[in-house]
Amino acid sequence: MTPSIIKIVDEDHQIAKLSAIAVALSLIEFFFPSPIPGIKPGIANIIILYSIFKFNYSIGIWVSLIRVFVTSIIIGTFLSPTFFLSLSGAMFSLLSILIFKNYNKNHFSLIGISLVASLAHIIGQFIVVRIWIIPHNGILYLLPLFLISSFIFGIVNGAITQKLLTLNVKK
Amino acid sequence: MQKILLLIRDFKPGDWIIIIFFLFFILMTIKFFLNFPNGQYLKIQKNSEVLGIYSLNQQNIKIIKGQRGVSEIVINNGKVRFTKAPCKKQYCIHQGWISKINQMIVCIPNQISISIIGDKETHDSINY
Amino acid sequence: MQQNILLMLSNKLIVFIIISFLLACDSNLIYQKKDFIFGTMIEIKIYGEDKTKSDIVSSEILEEFHRLHQLLHSWEKSSITEINQAILKKQPINIDNEIIHIIKDAQLLEKKTQSLFNPAIGKLIALWGFHSDHLPSSIPNRKKIINLVKSFPKMEDISIKDHLLISKNQNVQIDLGGYAKGYSLDQAKKILRQNNIKNALINIGGNILAIGQHGNRDWVVGIQHPRAPNAIASISLKPGWSIGTSGDYQKYFLAEPSDTSNEFILVKNQRYSHLINPHTGFPENKTQSATILIPPSDNSGVLSDVLSKPLFIETKDQKITLAKKLNINHFLIIMADGSVMISQNMLNEINWYDEPDAKNIITD
Repeated sequence: MTPSIIKIVDEDHQIAKLSAIAVALSLIEFFFPSPIPGIKPGIANIIILYSIFKFNYSIGIWVSLIRVFVTSIIIGTFLSPTFFLSLSGAMFSLLSILIFKNYNKNHFSLIGISLVASLAHIIGQFIVVRIWIIPHNGILYLLPLFLISSFIFGIVNGAITQKLLTLNVKK
Repeated sequence: MQKILLLIRDFKPGDWIIIIFFLFFILMTIKFFLNFPNGQYLKIQKNSEVLGIYSLNQQNIKIIKGQRGVSEIVINNGKVRFTKAPCKKQYCIHQGWISKINQMIVCIPNQISISIIGDKETHDSINY
Repeated sequence: MQQNILLMLSNKLIVFIIISFLLACDSNLIYQKKDFIFGTMIEIKIYGEDKTKSDIVSSEILEEFHRLHQLLHSWEKSSITEINQAILKKQPINIDNEIIHIIKDAQLLEKKTQSLFNPAIGKLIALWGFHSDHLPSSIPNRKKIINLVKSFPKMEDISIKDHLLISKNQNVQIDLGGYAKGYSLDQAKKILRQNNIKNALINIGGNILAIGQHGNRDWVVGIQHPRAPNAIASISLKPGWSIGTSGDYQKYFLAEPSDTSNEFILVKNQRYSHLINPHTGFPENKTQSATILIPPSDNSGVLSDVLSKPLFIETKDQKITLAKKLNINHFLIIMADGSVMISQNMLNEINWYDEPDAKNIITD
């Protein structure tokens, strides 16, 4: 057996672990019925946020993208419109976090970051839907509803992530 | 309840700005859509192809064949809804009645959508 | 603190811009220009071009329409009225190549439609009072009508040698009212092509030509209801197709028949439209409207204007045969009693707003 050329570092282990949890959470969410299609708590985002602020941004990107790809492959929606929605949401929210990640801890808490990411996520998805999937202005009627759920879950997820980060520090 | 109060105390000033902005944005979109008047016509489409336009001033049932099967649409004096659909989760039916201009319900698996259009007919020009 | 807030605000600003862009998305790509030429409404829509170019091209088109107005007008001073005056004086007249082409084309179409399309009956149309911007109000002298019909003015009476036009029938007066709009559409088509405009919709007094598409869907056109102030249906015009309608609801007047001859049906306030049957001398009143679709061709504009008339005028039993003879596969005819004759091809593509109860579907 030739020695492997790719060196696996600790970081990779972290990414793998975090991605696995994120995918698991996504799958749980998938099997949990939601009254309105598209409205989800987005609990996998807790892991993404955690990855970024516990470790670093690039780990966060990896975890996020792996989560999107693997979840869609397992569920069977790979390369479907749903997949692209998930991907665009992830990309927009990652982008928004990029702007805020060097936040001053006295000015923003993780809740704020989570809200921004959540808003960017839903806007990103609406852009893709409006331009590509359902090119009518009618779908914008759903915007208020999605914004409200984004708002609520943004706060909830942010709070949970905050808690997780402080718990780990104590260790 | 106390947990929530504790949580709020942890908010930083930047957070509040984001929260206010977000809520403001939500209110604006709600206001924008509340301002749409009630519609006059129902437009049934299969993807982007228009299958028919019907007056909302009637009580009628439309049976439409889509990609997966038959969708049933009810028009009831100003409002419309899906009542039967060949999809598993039946989201389109759960959405209930729509009546305002630009409101729309899509049954994605069957590729059938119903939307409300206003008095103005949706054509680019008129031949006479 | 300020730096972060600035970033956050700019983030939100981007969001706002994106949302408003989406909402305004479609309207930015449509250019629209309206004008009033030929005594009728002109509407030009251009899709997906920048405003400057659209302005330039639509100006060019409208200029061309003004030129054609002055060239072909039926009663205001024009090249055509000059020819008509010469014919009245029994004098030959010199004409240019464009007029030669138009007259020869009209002669061909007259023959093809067995004179149901007959642009030589200008005298008859004037007699009924339709050579004016105001609508007439009374029925002309019956004897005059009959005499004119007896003399049977037709385009065939005109002959052109070199550039000299002469008519052997003094009662010939050319009225290109049912031809000019279509001809203008074809001219507009050329201008659009020369300027590389790929997507446009031209509406001249209801006669419409579709070039390309409205974005990623076809141009959609409403068809006016002959007796109501709304559209009776809409239909997509595939790229290059045109639509024309002859109807009795635009230019008409109501009057009580002054004559008690048994050739007339005595109806109080009968409708008299500008669509006069050259064979009887009277406005045709058994049809409310005839709409046709014409596939793309160099003179599809003319065809969409001209060919709806014979279909309108022809008797009910002969309409279908005529449509077939004229190669018209898409037609919608609404008879005086409101019943509808529609070809299968047309039915396949039409979207009813106000679906008629009595439909006679013509298949071949």
